[in-house]
This record gives sequence, structure tokens and C-alpha cells, in this order.
Amino acid sequence: MRSTEIDRRTFLALAGVAALAPAQAARAAEEALFLGARLNAGKFEAAVIDERGRDRLVLPLEARGHSFAIDRANSRAVAFARSPGRFAVAFSLNGATEPVAIAAAPGRHFFGHGIFTPDGRLMIATENDYEAANGVMGVYDATNGFRRIGEFPTDGIGPHEVLLLNDGKTLCVANGGIQTHPDFERVKLNIAMMEPSLAYVDIASGEVVEKVKLVPELHQLSIRHMALDARGKVWFGCQYEGAAGDEPPLVGRHRRGSAIELFSGPTAILRAMRNYVGSVAVDASGSILGTSSPQGGVVVFWDTATGDCLGSRLLADGCGIAPSDAREMIVTSGRGAIVKADPAHMTTVLRENPAAPAWDNHLRRI
Amino acid sequence: MKQALLAGAMLILALAPTVAQDQASAIPADIGARVAEGFAAPSLTAFSATANELRTEIGGLCDRPEPARLSKVREAFVPLVAAWGRASMLRFGPLQEENRFERIFFWPDARGVTLRQVEALLAEGDAAVLEPGALAAKSVAVQGLPALEFALFGTGSDTLADGEGSFRCRYALAVAANVEAVAGAIAQAWRPGTAFRTAFVSPSSASDPYRSAEEVAGEIVKAIGTGLQFTRNAELLPALGESIAKARGKRAPFWRSDTTFVLVSAQIEGLKTFAEAAGFAASSSPDVRDAVASLLFDLDHAISTLAEVATPPAEAFGTASDRDRLAYVGVALEGANHTLGENLAAALGLRMGFNALDGD
Repeated sequence: MRSTEIDRRTFLALAGVAALAPAQAARAAEEALFLGARLNAGKFEAAVIDERGRDRLVLPLEARGHSFAIDRANSRAVAFARSPGRFAVAFSLNGATEPVAIAAAPGRHFFGHGIFTPDGRLMIATENDYEAANGVMGVYDATNGFRRIGEFPTDGIGPHEVLLLNDGKTLCVANGGIQTHPDFERVKLNIAMMEPSLAYVDIASGEVVEKVKLVPELHQLSIRHMALDARGKVWFGCQYEGAAGDEPPLVGRHRRGSAIELFSGPTAILRAMRNYVGSVAVDASGSILGTSSPQGGVVVFWDTATGDCLGSRLLADGCGIAPSDAREMIVTSGRGAIVKADPAHMTTVLRENPAAPAWDNHLRRI
Repeated sequence: MKQALLAGAMLILALAPTVAQDQASAIPADIGARVAEGFAAPSLTAFSATANELRTEIGGLCDRPEPARLSKVREAFVPLVAAWGRASMLRFGPLQEENRFERIFFWPDARGVTLRQVEALLAEGDAAVLEPGALAAKSVAVQGLPALEFALFGTGSDTLADGEGSFRCRYALAVAANVEAVAGAIAQAWRPGTAFRTAFVSPSSASDPYRSAEEVAGEIVKAIGTGLQFTRNAELLPALGESIAKARGKRAPFWRSDTTFVLVSAQIEGLKTFAEAAGFAASSSPDVRDAVASLLFDLDHAISTLAEVATPPAEAFGTASDRDRLAYVGVALEGANHTLGENLAAALGLRMGFNALDGD
């Protein structure tokens, strides 16, 4: 019942899409374009913008969006609702075809992240099997109207972001460890018993081929967001559910077959991060990781070769982060600001402005 | 549901540390001290005292099981639930650390973990779990008030009156002692001289977790919002269901002891006292005074409507007249939450972060 109703609302929201898309749709592949969710004049949207923050495509969403699966080969993407998300929308990045609404399967909701396989045939999303309190990956046939063709377990609770490794066939899933149930909206149900992990899943078989956890003392450090560096290592950012005064490391790195490494950076910067990383990205060269902490209003940069902290830049409620160039990130804020930043500099693209769109957690480079 | 979700999203908003300069005066400079003395101290003292009284009564029952003593034990459970309801609104700092909230009140429990684990523990009858301090190392579901409620009011609890339930009685005693110990630890962490109290009452750039009065005010606003949201979303709405046919009173907390509405009412009373103690009503800013007046109006109506509920919780959610009252309480709490997130926070000059959200 519920999913049908949501489906209808999504279609209604989409009915006006053509009118809202600017005449100049997203086009040239050589141009740097970015995709993010936002709240604009009271309405939720997904938007493609260029490096100067100009809209190239705007897609209305029925509720708050989160992140995206991007299929570069076919110039399309899927926008996911924020957890507990009941909908996703597949759309063309150049406005060429009609958007397609994807309702969550019965007994499942989206967590807000997903990927396409490199051939563009499958779309895979992190989902909650909430009655069983198990994380699953929902598998969708992207060649056939995004029909859900199956699912496989993530061997953990609360899977959040998922990455495709460079081999093109293995997923890395961040099992954040936080149990939620849509009946209780976003209330966290198991903070005392969290067991976050990174799980590697073979797409062909659906098997978890490797799983690593943090040390037991850090079981309340929820692993949530990830990016790959130049060497193909997985970098991740965490949010801490334990005592505010604990200040554990929030950034980590993992290579298959090894143990997890954690990096704290200088105490003052760690303190400024407020036990919370909202998004992570690796620059175009693969040598720098950027982590955003909206609660602390700070973006921190890390050397992916050594794990050294390279510096930090302040941006109030800054969260969306994506590579704009070698050693440089573009960062969006919930207050309408867009900046370009590197470990030592920050230039304003658009100033903070209460009338401008409030950018949501994630920004993706197309 | 969608509206509820959006309202919920407003509320878990963490507060960015920056505050508009010209509005800083809207926040009482001694806000932390007011809350510590006017709300935290009396609430935590009452919580410890009622836990102690119940433990003492259970001790007497275990020594000499008889129906009159069981009745007294059951009566003593009610003020403990009420005291917890008020204290539970302080869901930050000491109550949040070391999983103390969950250890006292593992809720929501959508999958019935408490019932399953407590029944298994009673069936096993392993005396090792009764050793002092042993429960603290067990699952949070077997060491708090929902577990204690099942022991005292659930299936088989009448055996407590005739000595047949000797293990069950000693288990209830151990749970009550655990709740009393956790209550004591929270009260201790709020006492003058602790790092938490110092940061809360006299925040500075070098103190943690609060570095300014604005951050303390932010924590207070956030805690009131968390309380409103938890009461509505985790306690009332799941039992209310989407329609009267889907009402399930047994999804409400403490239905076995008929104290669901004692809890909810005490929580709302607690939020009132909390907001009053913070001194918002005496703020120099008329916007703050208006917002808090509107908030208190909704809370008063929620309390008076709750008092009119005539049937026990197991039935009330599915009985038309009471269902309407409970639905209204949910609406009033949602309204209060909206006022808090939209009006009070802004009037206090607190900037809500769109992205600084828990859980994503």
C-alpha cells in the first residue's frame, strides 16, 4: 500500500520535470559537472551543477534526497531518498529520457547509496530488511526498467555507502552497525550493541568474501562513507555514537587482506570534527582525501599515501564534497555556499545565502 | 508518516556552534546552571530515591513472599516509572554515556528482545546472574525497567506472592539494584566538580563537550526535541498504528503495569520543567518568550488530554474515544516539536545545520 502511494507521489513530482530542466541540459563529458540533492525554496530536488555552481538539470524529488548511483557509460543516475527511503528515481543526466520511479521493495527501504556495475547493466543499492534487522544489497536490472531481480546480505546491520572496487566485480559495503526500523523513523535501536564492519561482496555470487571490524573498544564508531585512493585502497569516514568526550579517530583506511588503519590527525582538528564525518572524497589524482564534518563546520584533508593530516578549512554546515581537480575539492553547504578548497586554500564559488538552495550531505562528480 | 518524517528530520538537527552575534543575549548566560539545579538535580534525586524504594520493597517480598507485599512492590513500580519519565528527558551527557539510557530503558524493542531474553533467563535460573554487578555485564534488555516490569507484572509474576517465584524475585531485586546503581552514576556525573557539570555550567573554549553557552543552549533545545520525538514516535505512534484496525496497545511501553500514560505524562511534564528551568520564558527576547509560550501551551494540552484517557493502554489505542485523545497528544507533540525547531531555535539565534544530522 505504502509503496504504491509513494510511487504515485513520485510520478506526480516528476510530471513537471521537463518544465524545470533548464534549456541547457548537462552535456559535454569533458566538462566538470556535479550532482547533489538539495532543498530549494521549500522543495526537494536533485540537481546537476557546473563548476561555477550553475544549474544544468533539476529533478524534483518528493522528499529529501541523499546520494546517487551514477552510470557514466549511459549518462544516467539514480537519486536515492534519504533513509528510511521509500523511493529512488532513475534519470538521464542529459535530460534525454523520462525519469523512472523505483519504489522500495515490500519490507525494505533504501539507505540512500548505490552503484551501477561498469557495464551499466545492474544497479545495486544498500537497503534495510528491517523486520529481520539485516542489511541487504538490492539488485536491479538497469536494462529493464530497474526491475528488482534479487538481493544479497551484507552480513551486517545498517549498510550505508557502497563502493565498487577497481576490479569492477567486488563491492565494498560500510555496515554502519546502527539498527533502525521505519516504524520508529530515525531512532537508533541498538547503540549499546553496535558492530560496524566493512564487508567485501562478490557481485557474481553475492558472497561476502572478506569482512573486517574495528577493535571492540571502537564498536560504537559507525563506518559510513568511503572513497578509493590512487592505489585502490578504501578510505572511510565515521560517526561516533559513544560519549562526546571520547574523541576517537574518525578516518580510516583498509586494503583487502590487511587490518584496518585509523588516523586521528592533530588533536585540535580532531576536536573540531565533533566525532562526525558526513562525507568523504578523493581528489582527481587519488593522493588526497577530503572529509567533511558539518557538525564542526570543517573540511579536513589527508595524505592518502601516509595518512598524515594535511590541514583543514572552515565551512559552516559544509558536507557535500567531490573532486574538482588534482589536489582540490568542491564543497557544498547546507547554507547555500559552494567553495573550492585544498589543504591550504579556499576560494568561494557561491557565498552563503539563506535564499540559495541548501545542499544535502553528498555531492558526486559525474 | 511522511510529515512525521520531515518533522523528525528537523529535530535531530544538530546545532552548529556559530550564533548570530546580535541574538546572543536571547540565551540566558546561566542557562546551564539553571537546568542543572532546576531540572537535572531534582529529577535525578527522585529517580534514585524511587529506585531505592522499589528495591527495598522487592527485598522485603523476596524475604517474605505474600500477596500484600507483592501489591506494595507493584505500587512502588509506578513512581519509579514517573521519575524515570522526567529524568529520561536529559538524554545527553551522563545519561547517554556508557549506554545508560538503554540499560535503564531498552526501547523501542520492536523485535521483543526483552520478553525473549527475560523468559529465557527465568527459565534457566542461573544464580550467577544474581551476583552483585553481574547483570550490568549482560544484555541491556535484561537489566532495565522493561525487564523489571515483566518480572513484576508479566506472565507468571503471581508466583512472586507465594515463594514459588523465588528466583524471579531475586532477579527482580537484581534488576532494581542495577537501575538504582545506574541512576546513582548519572546523578554523580551531574554533581558539581565533574568535568561534565563544569562544561555544562561554565563552558569555555577548553572545555568538553560544551565550548560556549550557545552550545549548552543547543544541547538543551536538542534534548527537548529528542524527548518530544521519542515520546511520540517510539512510544505512542507504533501502538496507535495507521488505523484503528491496526492499533496495537501491546506495542506501547509498560502496558503490562498500566503505566504507559504515567510514563508519557511524566515525560511531557519533564519537558515542561526542563524548558521552564532553562529560563526561556524570562528571556529578554519577545520571540523567545512567544515561542516557549506556544511550546508550553501544546505540552499543557497534551498532558490534560492524556489525563482523560479512560481505558488501560492495552485497549486505549484501539478504543475510538481514547484513540482520538492519543492521536491528539501525538499532534500536540508534533506541534511543540515544530515550534521548537522552527521558532525557538531561531529566536535563540541557534543556526540549525541542514547536514549536521545524526545517522547519515
